[in-house]
Amino acid sequence: MAAYQLPQWAALAPALLLALTGLVLFLIDSISPRSTDRTLLAGTAAVGALASLAVAVWFTAAGVGTPTVDGGEGVIEIFDGQFVVDQLALYFMIVVTIVTALIVVASYDYLAGHTYQAEYYSLVVLAATGMATVAAANSLVTIFIALELTSLPSYALVAILKDNRGSVEAGLKYFLIGALSSAIFVYGISLVYGATGVLQLDSIAEVIADGGADGFGGLLGLGILMLLGGIAFKTASVPFHFWAPEAYEGAPAPISAFLSSASKAAGFVIAFRVFNVAFPLGEIGNVIGFDWTVAFVVLAIVTMTVGNFAAATQENVKRMLAYSSIGHAGYALIGLAGLSADGGELVMGAALMHLLVYGFMNTGAFLFVALAEHWGVGRTFEDYNGLSSQAPVACGAMAVFLFSLAGIPPFGGFFSKYFLFTGALQAATANTAMLAVAAALVVNSALSLYYYSRLVKALWIEDPPATRDRLGQPTGLYAAIVVAAVMTIVILPGFGPVAEAATGAAEALVN
Amino acid sequence: MNDWIAIGALALVGLLIPLGMMAVSYLLRPTVPETSKRATYESGEIPTGGTRVRFNIQYYTVALLFLVFDIETVLLFPWAVVYLDAVESDSVSLLEILGPMLLFVAILLVGLAWAWRNGAVQWAQTPRQAAADSDRQ
Repeated sequence: MAAYQLPQWAALAPALLLALTGLVLFLIDSISPRSTDRTLLAGTAAVGALASLAVAVWFTAAGVGTPTVDGGEGVIEIFDGQFVVDQLALYFMIVVTIVTALIVVASYDYLAGHTYQAEYYSLVVLAATGMATVAAANSLVTIFIALELTSLPSYALVAILKDNRGSVEAGLKYFLIGALSSAIFVYGISLVYGATGVLQLDSIAEVIADGGADGFGGLLGLGILMLLGGIAFKTASVPFHFWAPEAYEGAPAPISAFLSSASKAAGFVIAFRVFNVAFPLGEIGNVIGFDWTVAFVVLAIVTMTVGNFAAATQENVKRMLAYSSIGHAGYALIGLAGLSADGGELVMGAALMHLLVYGFMNTGAFLFVALAEHWGVGRTFEDYNGLSSQAPVACGAMAVFLFSLAGIPPFGGFFSKYFLFTGALQAATANTAMLAVAAALVVNSALSLYYYSRLVKALWIEDPPATRDRLGQPTGLYAAIVVAAVMTIVILPGFGPVAEAATGAAEALVN
Repeated sequence: MNDWIAIGALALVGLLIPLGMMAVSYLLRPTVPETSKRATYESGEIPTGGTRVRFNIQYYTVALLFLVFDIETVLLFPWAVVYLDAVESDSVSLLEILGPMLLFVAILLVGLAWAWRNGAVQWAQTPRQAAADSDRQ
């Protein structure tokens, strides 16, 4: 027990700190508009993200959100349960702030000479605020508002290279599909509200358990499917994945990293919380006539297959990474597919671990693309030929990211995939369809090794073209890439606490 | 009798009146076809330029600022209604009732100050004026 008991609302401190950072950035920009003091702006954003990360880690270590039976402080409810700070919320706040800190540091070099410095950083921090708030939101309304706070800055960020046709086009496409999926999501909320009469997640579960939604099964089922659609957009899963390659390719590469790691994690936290808390398996099956795990089994298999097969045919590195991120969304969906009425926390914990490891390796891979864009070497596999002779450190880090994404043993990605696989096999005792999911996981991982190693081959084995200029060594980008690479490896000995935090969060949610 | 019949009748009459007026005027009016009747703006003025005018983007930023303060009003209203009761009661301190709203308004003020400093409420400039301004600097 701490000597001084913080007030309840202080449990939201990671999100509040990010919001405060956003306001400070606005103040700096108000005092000197059009400032191009990159050190001040990027530094402020990085300090804010790191402070938020430190607080989230401290809260996790101090036992905030851990159930009291396990010696923690108990789950903290704020505003009558509109927000809830539990292990899951803190876990995802950690993921989001890590990615935010990495891309802010990397943007320091990427944005050199850019006009809208302050706007960029404040939008990034505001989007991160939204993602951290999503992690703690416990009512369909707060989820929707936090989701919009995540989405709206993202649209602007994708299109922030105003004079770049690709960036503007990507921003428009992202915005149009995002608006559509927001509409679907909010319609889903209205249908769920119509069927149950409440918006808070645990109240929805109570109403369903009490039979208050009997007779509205069709309405509720349609609402749940629509919620699923909105979530699929945010996580770039089939059938709402079309925007991802376009948006990631056109966006500035650090923003692609941000969207494909942090934004995706925010989508998954909604999926985990809404489906576990509001629509507990078993009871919901009696009302709407089917278990939602069926939907997730199909989505997981289709998403990972589509993502990996499409990635294998790409010539453009950024597009390849975009499709691979769709494939990884499929892996994380296994966490929901493997749930059953009386268990499944192991497979969901594995999905949480995968999202954390993915936060490092995928962000790192996209930041390497940012580095290549900074160098101006080109976009295709061939343009990357022989970069290792000129930039061995960055290319070594990239090889780590790619092998980790593929799931090769010495790296973090192997462990999370391994846990997903064993979790899926264990869940197969309750639901034989999980065998198909586990098989799809193995087949797709094997396939992904093909296109990841193609890039490694281009970097390390092919000869460099004779005409390439000397490549610079931008400090910020290098620092972010090296930190991400080191974390991808170091997370292995440190996997104990991570696995503990992830399974703890999953257990608290499932039971 | 079903209540909906009255509504249906109302809809029917609402549709019949304009159609009837159009039909009657079609029957009564003289037909004098003339090309200037087809012009975009036919009240005696000669049209200048096309109909597809591009509005200045500043209308959008001003509208956006308005929207922010519109929502602020929506949130201030219920707060103002309970304010006196809350001040008189002993269960809530003045800080508790005043603090959150002051914080909320302060956040909006930061946004307004930012928008102001970055020229969102500056008078719209034509490209020519903007060029003249930049020459002067």
